[in-house]
Amino acid sequence: MSLDHFYRFQDLARQQSVVFYYTGYFSQAIVSAMGDALRQRLNQTDASNVQRRKLFSVFIEMAQNVVHYSAEHLSASDSTDQEIRRGALWVGEQNGHFYVVCANPVAREQVGRIRDKLMPLLGMSNDDIKQLYKQKLRSDNDAESKGAGLGFLTVAREATEPVEFDFIDEDGPLSPITMFYLKASI
Amino acid sequence: MQNLHIPATSYSPQVDFDFARHHLSLSGESYPENASVFFAPIMAALDAYLAPLDHVRITVDVQLAYFNSASTKAILAIFERLNAAAVAGNYVTVNWHSDPDDDTIMEFGQEIAEDSPALDVHLLALA
Repeated sequence: MSLDHFYRFQDLARQQSVVFYYTGYFSQAIVSAMGDALRQRLNQTDASNVQRRKLFSVFIEMAQNVVHYSAEHLSASDSTDQEIRRGALWVGEQNGHFYVVCANPVAREQVGRIRDKLMPLLGMSNDDIKQLYKQKLRSDNDAESKGAGLGFLTVAREATEPVEFDFIDEDGPLSPITMFYLKASI
Repeated sequence: MQNLHIPATSYSPQVDFDFARHHLSLSGESYPENASVFFAPIMAALDAYLAPLDHVRITVDVQLAYFNSASTKAILAIFERLNAAAVAGNYVTVNWHSDPDDDTIMEFGQEIAEDSPALDVHLLALA
């Protein structure tokens, strides 16, 4: 990549008011350090206290999702602690709203499961999401979940509009891996 | 039994379970990588402490600035145990401290109060 490409890359980030961007490997230490930097960066914006808290919450749930579930990992695939996995995360500001987007590779066979978790949330009101969260919090854990299985619900609960998601085949439709994107606005 | 003290990190809370004085406190931030790994020894110590107690006054102070979804589940499990201890004949007072403009944490304190009728829960706003 020539310097000219880097300039265009920066310029696009500026146009889209990207406050924060990271791509690469995510570990707990990196998530924590980024969280601290994000909090300090948000202190310099017009974000209200409520917005800052919601943004931080969405950021942590998304970033820890990458640590737990990204299909590309440096740590052993069956580990549940001290993990290092690949992804990307953006925080930006547009028209007085903030957005957080994360992307990480997932196994194609997980697409259905992720879609089934997210689709029902799209048409739900904030009160319905809160009720579902309460109910899930008190139910048994999803066997495939490493946390409480509440990450997506937490993201949807904090968001001020329905979350958006997509799967992009970076390596063609036959690759066993696809990129999962999730966006929340606050 | 031995008191449990775990110092805070940037992503895990300070845990001060002073079993001798029957005072339990949790404060700071809670988003460890794996909440069940972090909370397992805390639950084990709490279970061992609560099991033989009868007619004891326990005070619990919670002052968490942020906790992630997996920690929320663990915190709920702590209060289920405390509620069971209160049902079994102990007196448990919970002081739930939260920032007045943090609805999420305040509402979660309310939910704990509703879920755990045997606990004496006080929702307190931090100045």
